[in-house]
Amino acid sequence: MVELFKLSGIAIVIIGLAFRLRTTLVVVTAGLVTGLIAGLPLFSGEGIFQGLPLITKPGQEGIINMLGRAFADNRLMILFIITLPAIGLAERYGLQEQAASLVRRMKAATVGRLLVVYQLFRILMGILGIRLSGHPAFVRPLVFPMSLGAAEATARAKTVESLPAAEVEQIKAANSASENYGNFYGQNLSPVLPGILLVYGVMKGLGYTVNLWSLVLFAIPIVVISVILGAIQFWLLDLKERRRLAAKH
Amino acid sequence: MKIEALAIASVNTIFKALLSLNTVYVLTGLVLLVFAALNFKDRSNKHRNGTALFWFILGLIFILGSVLPHWATGLLVLLMVVIDGVGRVGHKRTDEVTKSGQVEQKVRSLGNQIFLVVLTIPFVTFAFAIAFRLLGLNTNDGAIVGLGFSGIVAIAVGLALTRGTLSEAFQEGRRLNDAMGAVNILPPLLASLGIIFTASKIGDLIAAGIHKIIPGQNLFLLIIANCLGMALFTMVMGNSFAAFPVIAAGVLVPLIVKPFGVNPALVAIITLTAGSTGTLMTPMAANFNIVPTALLDMRDQYGVIKYQAPFALTILAFHVIVMWLLIRMF
Repeated sequence: MVELFKLSGIAIVIIGLAFRLRTTLVVVTAGLVTGLIAGLPLFSGEGIFQGLPLITKPGQEGIINMLGRAFADNRLMILFIITLPAIGLAERYGLQEQAASLVRRMKAATVGRLLVVYQLFRILMGILGIRLSGHPAFVRPLVFPMSLGAAEATARAKTVESLPAAEVEQIKAANSASENYGNFYGQNLSPVLPGILLVYGVMKGLGYTVNLWSLVLFAIPIVVISVILGAIQFWLLDLKERRRLAAKH
Repeated sequence: MKIEALAIASVNTIFKALLSLNTVYVLTGLVLLVFAALNFKDRSNKHRNGTALFWFILGLIFILGSVLPHWATGLLVLLMVVIDGVGRVGHKRTDEVTKSGQVEQKVRSLGNQIFLVVLTIPFVTFAFAIAFRLLGLNTNDGAIVGLGFSGIVAIAVGLALTRGTLSEAFQEGRRLNDAMGAVNILPPLLASLGIIFTASKIGDLIAAGIHKIIPGQNLFLLIIANCLGMALFTMVMGNSFAAFPVIAAGVLVPLIVKPFGVNPALVAIITLTAGSTGTLMTPMAANFNIVPTALLDMRDQYGVIKYQAPFALTILAFHVIVMWLLIRMF
């Protein structure tokens, strides 16, 4: 029974995040509570803490010590902070605008094909280690209007209003999905993005030093499958539209 | 001859010390101290003291993390979390890139050259990894040290190309850093949580629970439990980065890596992306699944999730198959 109480840390994380409390606070509270229930001391019994009762136990590493050690060891996960001035400078001199003009130049005859190209563009950004806030900066202002344009052209409709509402809803959902598919799987193709560094750090903490480049290598098969599955789903979107048009004529 | 050899040896030592992880940590720490100072000077931010202190402490941990006793670092981390917990890490909404007419003119003339600045980052990282390999050093360290120096090289490239100023670079860097805010420190915090969970034997507890359901040593069933568990746990937490340390300590390492001696890199990265399939199916990941429905003015709040679900379930099945096949091959 005491054993099961140890899982309260996980419960704290779940409840805390569900109530939208500060993530940092939730995570650290969960760690402290779990450690205390498991009977770990707060501090290691060394240095100025030597022999202190209650907050130390002989021969056991303290929770605060663990927190400090693990945080210091895993600083490498957030080394990207050092790249922020350069990225910020590039943004000031038009990085986002230039990326947007690349997206604008994507030529695709149908919505489905456009979304396949956009997913590939997102994966390319992942390989290059470039982080974009895709939904507000690319999907809403660029990809979505381009999708509507392609849909109008296919349907030979003059305005968006003449497209069935249900179809427009599907196009909206597919737009967001294309961004998510490309972003989620593509970011593991760069060792400078936090995903790969997190896996590296966690595995190291568990006693396995893995090679950063083999992590990237073993991420490739799933990325390839994500592109194929995405292409099938977006092709089905086109197919549905073609069927609808054929039925109308 | 002897002096020459000595000179080479000492140059070598200096070179190694300069190109070490510690140098990169110190440089990152200095960047953070600049961000802290810029925040402190910013009178328009009503939480300027808390914000500045937060980044100052993080900078301090970066610079001194290797020499501070762990308990001191631990207390500093707690202090940061408290500052954030009481809502004292804030920033004004400066999402829009500040621009003057002069800058806009330059933007037009720079064109695609602006990509060179950000491409410097992966290029330098890669170059360091290769150089470390040629020198017979650890390529992991090479990539990480390279990432650190790439930030500096990219600033230089950026200044040369745009003829902007260093102060612009740091102001813009601070803008990006503030926009992400305190969640910046989540990855190492989550890794710490994983370590505390491991020390509290949470991993063993979860592993024992799974062994009750899946008796014996059936690798295929364990792979299913691992990938499915990761996806479900990510759906609950809304974040695959948060789920990974727990699943890695509770399922992946004790039930798959240790008993079967499989390649840890292979199973670890596929477990992380199994989490991403969970992210595609959960409203907890609001930024990716709910915010877009608002941005695109969709009628169904769960429209994006519903569209993604068939894709996610299919690719989750592929995770099991790919992991199983690759374990066979490697």
